[in-house]
Amino acid sequence: MNKHLAVIAAIMVFLAVFIPLASSSPDGLERVVETFGVEEHTPFWNGIMSDYAIEAIADPYVSTLLAGVFGTLLVLLAGLLLGKMMKPKTQVSE
Amino acid sequence: MHIPDGLIATNEPTSLTIAIGMWIVTIAFLGWSWKKAKTTYSRSITALLAISSAFVFAAQMINFPIAFGTSGHLVGGTFLAVLLGPHAAMLSMTIVLLMQGFFFADGGILAFGMNAFNMAVIGGLSFFLIKLLTRGSTESKRLIPSVFAASWLSVMVGALLAALEISPAFAGGVAVTMPSMLFYHAIIGLGEGAITAVLISSIQRMQPAIMGGLTLLKEKTKL
Repeated sequence: MNKHLAVIAAIMVFLAVFIPLASSSPDGLERVVETFGVEEHTPFWNGIMSDYAIEAIADPYVSTLLAGVFGTLLVLLAGLLLGKMMKPKTQVSE
Repeated sequence: MHIPDGLIATNEPTSLTIAIGMWIVTIAFLGWSWKKAKTTYSRSITALLAISSAFVFAAQMINFPIAFGTSGHLVGGTFLAVLLGPHAAMLSMTIVLLMQGFFFADGGILAFGMNAFNMAVIGGLSFFLIKLLTRGSTESKRLIPSVFAASWLSVMVGALLAALEISPAFAGGVAVTMPSMLFYHAIIGLGEGAITAVLISSIQRMQPAIMGGLTLLKEKTKL
């Protein structure tokens, strides 16, 4: 368990260190869309923290970091749930 | 290569048909992987699945620059496939994409079928390419080059499919999306290959016990 917590902590540290270093250039697909001047229409869903930013927080680093930590924990939780549901039925009960 | 909903024209039949079609195809693949995942693993992979999915989410946030003012980031489908095997990898990547789309508007909701197919299903399927290339060997001198090749190819196949899927939004159609998507992703794929190879080789060296997917690599697993 402690080992698992250590890895989760390491992922948080990874985010804290690398978020400021991440490139803000458009990714491959965004570049293609820009190059050919395609207009994206307004989507019906804009997410809750669009573009990995929390609107209420002005500092972009803190905003993105918190969004990242939140998302990481969310995926972790969803993964735990999925794993629990996936448990083989044939397994002897613990 | 997350496709936003802004590129899907809901009033345009081709665009909408592709989006809905990819939802159906993806659900079929996920249903299959769910069924297999429940019977494939003899012990619980919950911790490994949760932590590796969380890592992939975090890693996807970090864009690395390539040339031409463009960036890319790890997809992580092949990484998950080596760690978890093909079936759990598809499910794992799907939850990453689901959270990205719903909470962060990274990849659309209507476009979710496309994105999940391009990254989660293709990522999971790359396991079988590794199996073919290594012929079931887990020795690192065979495994690592195969992982690199499969990672690169998984990005290229994903980009190729994305090029087809977004083409209705482009006046020039597939003739412009295909070469440009493949061009940028050929470079981004090298990053994917390098990062995945380093990650897998480090884990294999330091924590060989957690490479759960490798036992599936050796087994005669049937599709």
